[in-house]
Amino acid sequence: MTVTIRSRRTALAAATALALTVTAAACSGKAGGSGGSRDGRAGSTTGAGKTSYHLTADTGTPKGDVDSFTWSLFAEPPSIDYTQAFDYPPNQVLANVCESLLRWNPDLTTSPGLATAWQNPDSKTWVFTIRDGVRFHDGTTLTADDVVASLSRNMDPDAASVWANQYRNVDKIEKTGPLQVTVHLKSPDSTFLEYMAASPGTVESAATLTADGKDYGGPAKGVNCTGPFSFGSWQPGQSIVLKRFDGYWDPSLKAHSKQVKFVFIVDPTARVNAFQTGEVDGGWMIPPGSFSQLASNVSFGKSTMVADEVVANLSGPLGDPRVRQALLMATDRKGIIDAGDGGVGEIADSLVSADNWSNAPEAEKKAGTTGLPSYPYDKAKAKALAQQAGVHGQEVVIATSPLDTQTTIITQAIAQACTDIGLTPKIDTIAADKYTALFTDPAARKGVDLFLTFWYTSITDPLDMYASLETGAFSNYGGYSNKDFDAAFEQAVGSYDPAARAQATGKAQQIALTELPWLPLYDEPVSVYQGPKITGVKPSIDYLYYPWAAEIGAR
Amino acid sequence: MTVKSPNLVSVAWLRRVGAMASTLLVTSFLVFSSLYLAPGDPVAFLVKGRSPSPEQLAAIRHEYGFDKPFPVRYWDWLTGLLHGDFGQSYQLHASVASVIGSRLPSTLLLVALATVLIVVLGVGLGVFGALRGGKGVVVAVTVGAAVPSFTAAIVLRSVFGVRLGWFPTVGTGSGFGDELHHMLLPAIALAITFMALVTRVTRAAMLEELGREHVEVVTSRGLPRTAVIRRHVLRNALGPVVTVSALLISGLLVSTAIVESAFGMNGVGSLLVSSVNHMDFPVVQAVVLLVVAAFVVVNTVVDLVYPVIDPRVRAAR
Repeated sequence: MTVTIRSRRTALAAATALALTVTAAACSGKAGGSGGSRDGRAGSTTGAGKTSYHLTADTGTPKGDVDSFTWSLFAEPPSIDYTQAFDYPPNQVLANVCESLLRWNPDLTTSPGLATAWQNPDSKTWVFTIRDGVRFHDGTTLTADDVVASLSRNMDPDAASVWANQYRNVDKIEKTGPLQVTVHLKSPDSTFLEYMAASPGTVESAATLTADGKDYGGPAKGVNCTGPFSFGSWQPGQSIVLKRFDGYWDPSLKAHSKQVKFVFIVDPTARVNAFQTGEVDGGWMIPPGSFSQLASNVSFGKSTMVADEVVANLSGPLGDPRVRQALLMATDRKGIIDAGDGGVGEIADSLVSADNWSNAPEAEKKAGTTGLPSYPYDKAKAKALAQQAGVHGQEVVIATSPLDTQTTIITQAIAQACTDIGLTPKIDTIAADKYTALFTDPAARKGVDLFLTFWYTSITDPLDMYASLETGAFSNYGGYSNKDFDAAFEQAVGSYDPAARAQATGKAQQIALTELPWLPLYDEPVSVYQGPKITGVKPSIDYLYYPWAAEIGAR
Repeated sequence: MTVKSPNLVSVAWLRRVGAMASTLLVTSFLVFSSLYLAPGDPVAFLVKGRSPSPEQLAAIRHEYGFDKPFPVRYWDWLTGLLHGDFGQSYQLHASVASVIGSRLPSTLLLVALATVLIVVLGVGLGVFGALRGGKGVVVAVTVGAAVPSFTAAIVLRSVFGVRLGWFPTVGTGSGFGDELHHMLLPAIALAITFMALVTRVTRAAMLEELGREHVEVVTSRGLPRTAVIRRHVLRNALGPVVTVSALLISGLLVSTAIVESAFGMNGVGSLLVSSVNHMDFPVVQAVVLLVVAAFVVVNTVVDLVYPVIDPRVRAAR
């Protein structure tokens, strides 16, 4: 149950300009979403059109080491405390400094991290064997006590961990040997182990947690973990510097750079300019408008992100599943990808990307990713279906915010689709913080029928997404409720056998894709830029938890 | 002319300081209350998308003092200010004083550089326009005044930063020389509109003075041209120029927001924008108060300088 609003903060000026554009378009009713005629509109400042693209697993082995490279973040992290790390900037820094019990790999599989082995003697117990001889950056040795203190912190109300929900089924965490930790669950939870590869499984020195108290993870104290880089310095408002940790336990991920300097550049154009002048060597999440400009230095990788239109009101005009099906069918998703994302992306077959099934056995993976209910672009058929369901010009409110160009383009395309099936769309443009509140506050969703989210999962499991559609779930924004779905979902969460779990998940997915409480729009790959000096990164959404910077060296 | 006694002078000073303090007090109340009237709840940001239990919510509300009545919160904040305590930032886990303190030097340097450009080039071009330039300067000034700072930023950045590579495009640099190098383009982008306005005002004031009788009289008496310009034209024209410049310069602090974002500088302006977006009230309040204080101080300085420029003002008081 991961609540994720992709926050791409935009400069005030740009935000205001966009807001005006949206309002103007909404008033004139010209949304334009059919055909591919709007190519190039996305990045009018940079003149980008469609980009042909392919996914790259590996950008090559570095020729050698470098002294330092500079990496851009779109915002300064508020903190690098792992219990507060729930956004791209803090997570991509922390991924190189702190490690979890398991490791999330670039191919989206998991493998041993700070735990070398794990068993579940019964469905409510996990026993982790902790790696021997691992050192923290201050030179002290990792023990089971550190693991217990770090994990338990997610359940401490005072720490107010953003990952508390991932610990909702945990009863107790205890040390059962010098290098053994046992987690007791209240009820079986098959996703708990997978979350141990993400931020919830982070291990910090217990002594540091006690010593730093409230200052832990802030600019003054930083963190003290076990990763290939140690926290060097943090100049608020300017930069965070990481230093190579020579005592790192894993020789295969020893850092190629002595230092990484993260700088905070909010404005997307300023970031692209800094790439072009060589002031900054690289960055994740490249503005789509600049794909063609940065050309071969941009690579794309595996992602778990899907752009979805959330149906926030299931008792209004969109209450009938047929209307939702018609709406999706009338949405020009290819046009959205071309105009909003420079052609980089694929029409989504499901609410989760195919990569989310990577851990499932072959047969179930195939069942989960093929032969799903599909809604190819067909305006006439969509209109007929909507009429059958009694659509006759009812008003639907689409909430949006001037976050970025994609958001604007998608919203207009959805409005066009509403018009095409006989609904009357009304675009409601709200401030960014109010938009954020849609994801947390039921009162804010009152009077809203549709809103957009870029939803990624933090683990390789479709259940992370489908948890949001369970009756009563916090992020079940439309109050969707289906007994069969809930039963399949619960069965999946309680199944430790990968095949049984995947089958149950597939059943839940089938229901979700027929009833469409959320409308899947498109899969967006991860994008990364590496300047002419550096290479070696493995483009993948795992950059949020995997020490990707260690693999970057001289080109 | 009356001779003021020392006592009267100090009374006048006290009055001025009192006026300054009461202006700040009134604005502090307006700033504090307006943010609490703004829609939205900072708690929604503080919980960051979690679904906290009612107890956790209550704990957060208590920790940040949201559970106290408004007058109590205002009083706490105000007394904190007097002790130099601006509170804690919600967004960046640090005190507001340190958050602003670490960003203020680069913003002040940017404002200072822009001020120099506005005053030196603005007045210089205005004088030149009045004496020689004529139409050329008027056209240039009209164009300059019409260029918003974000447009100027985009053009300057792509031409002098990306194409020619003469200047860095992001950051603030380290060391004075490097900082100046980083700040020049942003300062030009920030100053261009204001510079044009000052040029306009200067030129108009100069032209008006040039046509005055006393100027014609001193010219006919054979006083050298430069002396006429300096002592009789420019000096008399300075009044409106100083007033307009001061108003513009005291507003520069706010205008830095756009330019700082465009040049990837993390200064007070960009801090204000991100704090507004994150409902980081303590930071917004502190920055706005800082802006108001800058206004008050600059205008007080102008009040003090005015009699020196124009003795008639002193006589009139």
